[in-house]
Amino acid sequence: MTNGPLIVQSDKTLLLEVDHDQAEACRRAIAPFAELERAPEHVHTYRLTPLGLWNARAAGHDAEQVVDVLLEYSRYPVPHALLVDVADTMSRYGRLQLVQDPVHGLILHALDPAVLMEVVRSKRTAGLLGARIDATDVIVHPSERGHLKQVLLKLGWPAEDLAGYVDGEAHQIDLLEDGWALRPYQKQAVDGFFHGGSGVVVLPCGAGKTLVGAGAMARSSTTTLILVTNTVSARQWRDELVKRTSLTEDEIGEYSGARKEVRPVTIATYQVLTTKRKGVYTHLELLDARDWGLVVYDEVHLLPAPIFRMTADLQARRRLGLTATLVREDGREDEVFSLIGPKRFDAPWKDIEAQGYIAPADCVEVRLTLPDADRMAYATAEPEEKYRLAATARGKNRVVEQLVAKHEGDPTLVIGQYLDQLHTLAEHLDADLITGETTVHERQRLFDAFRSGEITKLVVSKVANFSIDLPEASVAIQVSGSFGSRQEEAQRLGRIMRPKGDGRTAHFYTVVARDTVDQDFAAHRQRFLAEQGYAYSIVDAEDLGLDTATEAGRD
Amino acid sequence: MPTFTGYLRERNDDELVALLRSRPDLASPSPATLSSLAVRATSRSSLERALAGVDASVLQVLEAVVALSDPGPLTAADLPAAVGATDEAGVALVQRALRLAVVGTLVYPDSDDAPLQPSPGLAEVLGPYPAGLAPADAGIRRGTPPEPVDLDDLPTLLETAPAGARPVLDALLWGPPVGLAPSNSTAAAAAVDWLLRRHLLLPGDSRHVVLPRAVALALRGGRTHAAPAFPPPVPDDVPHRSHALVAAESAAAGERIVLMVARLVRLWEQAPPGVLRGGGLGVRELRRVASALETDEAEAAFVIELAGAAAFVADDGEDNPSFAPTVAVDEWAVRDVPDRWAALARTWRSTLRTPWLVGSRDERGGVRAALDPELQRTWAPRLRRAVLDVLADTPPGTALDAAHVLAVLRWRGPRSVPPTAAVQAMLIEAGRLGILGAGALSDAGRALLLETAPLVGAVAAADPADALAAALPPAVDEILLQGDLTGVVPGRPGPELDDLLDRTAHVESRGGALTVRFTPESVRRALDAGATADGLLAELASHSRSGVPQPLEYLVRDAARRHGRLRVGSASGYVRADDPSLLAGLVEDPRLASLGLVRLAPTVLAAQAPARELVEALRAHGLAPVAEGPDGQVVHVVSSIRRVGRRATAGARRRASDASPTGAREALTDDRLLALVPQLRRAEAERRADEAVRVPGTILPSPARRAPVPPSAPVPSAGTADPVDALVLLREAAAEKAEVWVELVGSHGVPQRRLLRPLRVEGGRLRAIDTARESELTVAVHRIATVTRTVPSAPQADDPQETS
Repeated sequence: MTNGPLIVQSDKTLLLEVDHDQAEACRRAIAPFAELERAPEHVHTYRLTPLGLWNARAAGHDAEQVVDVLLEYSRYPVPHALLVDVADTMSRYGRLQLVQDPVHGLILHALDPAVLMEVVRSKRTAGLLGARIDATDVIVHPSERGHLKQVLLKLGWPAEDLAGYVDGEAHQIDLLEDGWALRPYQKQAVDGFFHGGSGVVVLPCGAGKTLVGAGAMARSSTTTLILVTNTVSARQWRDELVKRTSLTEDEIGEYSGARKEVRPVTIATYQVLTTKRKGVYTHLELLDARDWGLVVYDEVHLLPAPIFRMTADLQARRRLGLTATLVREDGREDEVFSLIGPKRFDAPWKDIEAQGYIAPADCVEVRLTLPDADRMAYATAEPEEKYRLAATARGKNRVVEQLVAKHEGDPTLVIGQYLDQLHTLAEHLDADLITGETTVHERQRLFDAFRSGEITKLVVSKVANFSIDLPEASVAIQVSGSFGSRQEEAQRLGRIMRPKGDGRTAHFYTVVARDTVDQDFAAHRQRFLAEQGYAYSIVDAEDLGLDTATEAGRD
Repeated sequence: MPTFTGYLRERNDDELVALLRSRPDLASPSPATLSSLAVRATSRSSLERALAGVDASVLQVLEAVVALSDPGPLTAADLPAAVGATDEAGVALVQRALRLAVVGTLVYPDSDDAPLQPSPGLAEVLGPYPAGLAPADAGIRRGTPPEPVDLDDLPTLLETAPAGARPVLDALLWGPPVGLAPSNSTAAAAAVDWLLRRHLLLPGDSRHVVLPRAVALALRGGRTHAAPAFPPPVPDDVPHRSHALVAAESAAAGERIVLMVARLVRLWEQAPPGVLRGGGLGVRELRRVASALETDEAEAAFVIELAGAAAFVADDGEDNPSFAPTVAVDEWAVRDVPDRWAALARTWRSTLRTPWLVGSRDERGGVRAALDPELQRTWAPRLRRAVLDVLADTPPGTALDAAHVLAVLRWRGPRSVPPTAAVQAMLIEAGRLGILGAGALSDAGRALLLETAPLVGAVAAADPADALAAALPPAVDEILLQGDLTGVVPGRPGPELDDLLDRTAHVESRGGALTVRFTPESVRRALDAGATADGLLAELASHSRSGVPQPLEYLVRDAARRHGRLRVGSASGYVRADDPSLLAGLVEDPRLASLGLVRLAPTVLAAQAPARELVEALRAHGLAPVAEGPDGQVVHVVSSIRRVGRRATAGARRRASDASPTGAREALTDDRLLALVPQLRRAEAERRADEAVRVPGTILPSPARRAPVPPSAPVPSAGTADPVDALVLLREAAAEKAEVWVELVGSHGVPQRRLLRPLRVEGGRLRAIDTARESELTVAVHRIATVTRTVPSAPQADDPQETS
């Protein structure tokens, strides 16, 4: 029995004791194949999943390495059944390969004829496969490459896609590294992605995912299609690319509800692509408008279902997914795996924070006791109304005021879900308000003013959840959200995590009505960040004044 | 040539003890005399049992002796060659096999030069084609005495044979020796015809042909077997597990099964499931248990069956019967894990239950339910033992698969090969119990085996519980509490910590470590059980190096704040009035103290007395109350814990425990056997003395002691032999093909004396040939009054008619 830092449980979780001497070495060793599930202060939990093991296989690790690592670092004998299972699972990846055949074109090649037989006979592959060539090869309809990969994953025989990519139209793109350079982890991410061909890069908000995208574009030097969540985000991508690369404004097109430009680098929104007219996706031709050499998916955890279907047809092009969390509330992680690609790079938030690339954050949940009248209203409300009632409790306005006062002068965002509530808050705080109704022009103006320090308070709706670059924001106050969405919580925290000039700690407050569903949802929302190592402390709203006093005394 | 009974009488005490030990069914119940021992030893059922217990090499020897002793003589020295042993190992194997056969008196006598004889009755039990050879008298019965074939000339003869002849012989050569005759006018038919004409084949019945024994033996080169049956070697690729791994997996499994049984009991003491009309547990209940135990149905069935076998749960025998925990479980639950495990493992070792059959379909197509009374198999403990013995015979750490275990079992008992599914199930069950760890026998498992069968010369076996305790990792008394409301015990929690976590948290995963999550519900549960927030936090802090994180502390305090905001109590009645002072007067009044009045609010009193009593008491007090509502009764339902009584428990335990002969076998000590043998001799001697007085010479024990008997000595009416002796004599005579005088009692009750040559005694019938009348007859054994051995030299005795 060694005294390693790792405890391997028979339910396939790995417990890593972080205070152990070998913890760092062990973390590096298990990261390629185990998914980090929780990273609180003492013991990090990793999980062995088929997807994770196949990711490792895709990255060139074999079962023997995995088993060796487990045996080396494990404190107790590793359950035998688990080792057998790891070997079994990993051996399933790559027994089927998608390859280009000089005669037949795209074929599915099997190293094991029995597996091919099983797959061919499955009802799910009907229509995806063409004629059998021999015992180990079968023709694949090129248009079904993506669907087939999805189906094979579901059948438990994930195919290794060796069919390669079309080169796409060449277009010179260089990084202009004047006075800045790609950070080491960003370089690793670009390398990891390009080496693997296609896949997903997972980085915390504020860690510079856009630059990873730019790096990948420079490496590829081809025409590129970038898919983003909304127009503001599209503009930010454009500005960043102009600033960081050799691309000029004229080379970058925007394809959105407002403009329909197709240029060597085109930035399109998910929304415009998924717009249907008379039951037909009218903007699909964009995908074929040029011979794209690279497709970048921003915020891949939000990819809408229709985009998955379109992506299935894009399998011959390099695909890069960018996200802060692979957690999808709809549980479609496996589709991301088969259609965009395996995870190529992942860094725990706390690691990046430790390197100083994202600001340290202090998360506080403020619990507000509702007045009796509100409690009575809440107790008798219809179930579907309860969350709204609790989330928009009037008492929250006062708490927000106190918090804003406490951080007077710091750039502060107040984020909420319900427009009435936001309007009231904006009035109370005498702050500007950005919602979905605000024009793009007005939004830009306000964001610019906020960036320049002209205004320090901004009340925003969920439009600000993603991809809005507000480097100086250091306080975020969340008053309501989309129920228990974990990734929304992470994204909102991400708004304030750009490193500050003076290394200040960012503050993230969630105001919650006590003893209501609001509190339950908040607990669920915090799961992801708590698992990433962000410890929420909980304070009572009544104690806030006291808190301010002590802090003032300390300053 | 000595008779079998004579042979037995001449054995010394040690040899008899060895016999009884090798064939325990002969000793229980104790036989009265050596003759009755001989009868029992030659009875079909005992021989069947003995054959079921011999390994393939012994079986080969028995077949060889049966096949070759007929024309005979066959000596021990001839045996190795007969079964094809060429090298030293083969010869040693055959000699060992012969020794075992002789010890069990399946073959006798044992002196080196004397010809070997099969035990009377053995040939019948071995079947018609020992070693794949046709009976020596094949063809005789159909009245065509075999033409002598010149076997020395066989090779030359075969050279002239038509093309198809040799393949026909080859097909029948190693048995079975009977083949279907080909239809006419085919090439094969011509070949068979050719063989038949030269008597190399004999006609069997109209459609079959038989390869005569002599021809087969000649073709086999005088051997009965191609090669001696060596035990199957352990395959080279068999996995070898390290001792630490085996110990860890075994301990983890052992702990897990104890936990599962405890959880089953906890589940059923709250909500006992109903008993099906057939006596088992419904499928839906099984699924419920499986989901509660977070396992599959097969393992759930195993846990239920194990708990049933240990009599921890039993049919409570109520009008609406249900399965409920018994009092036995309370005693078990307070012991520590290794002891609890040992109790379960011992139960499993001896139980007749067959959990793996749960969910399969019986002959009528019905699904077999868990705890179904039908699911008992008397062979289950024996098979378990046999399977584990196979593993115990391999070097420690060897993980055998079911196929190899089965191969070994097939060699060890070719006449009683267990079903494959049962062997697989035994291995799985042993794994679930931690008797196997990672497929290899664990220390605890070995101790469990040694407990019942202390090997000769072995050191005193370790206690299985101690062996398991040694394998369990050391207990850890520290928990790492984290900000996300989880906690990790980096090892096996000590009892105190385990109990604390059991009360206050949900277990998320178990294994090398224990991970728990604190939730408002889990903390509330602890508060319900009487804990306070401060007490709880102090307890948690005492086990945590880094204190209690703020979110957890907040959670506990928040839960405590909300705890008890609603108060619930029980009352049987209430009194209300608009006038608080009137009610205050009632509470204070000592004369109403028996009503148990408590003021809940200024205008409401709760009372322990029921409404009717309240009304009467208040009226007696001069007030004028009225009863309110239908009756105002509050029924307070408390979940009750159910137990089956001691008597039913004992019954359940008795039913489930092993009552098979193996159980008895374990009790057979050498002391008892040593005491038994002299007893047998004494009884035998006394009886013979008796008989010698009454009918001298009726039973002649052995040639050496045979008194000279005049040929006409047998007195018809005398010599009513003990039926036991009669059967021995008949069997011996059948084996020796000797003639005996048999006194038969006819259907009119008239005795009739006939000289018979017994052919076979079985199923309560004697088949014999009456040489005088040249006819075959079959008589029921109970019609035989006496049997008298003829003196070999005696003339063909009196006319049987004389006696009638």
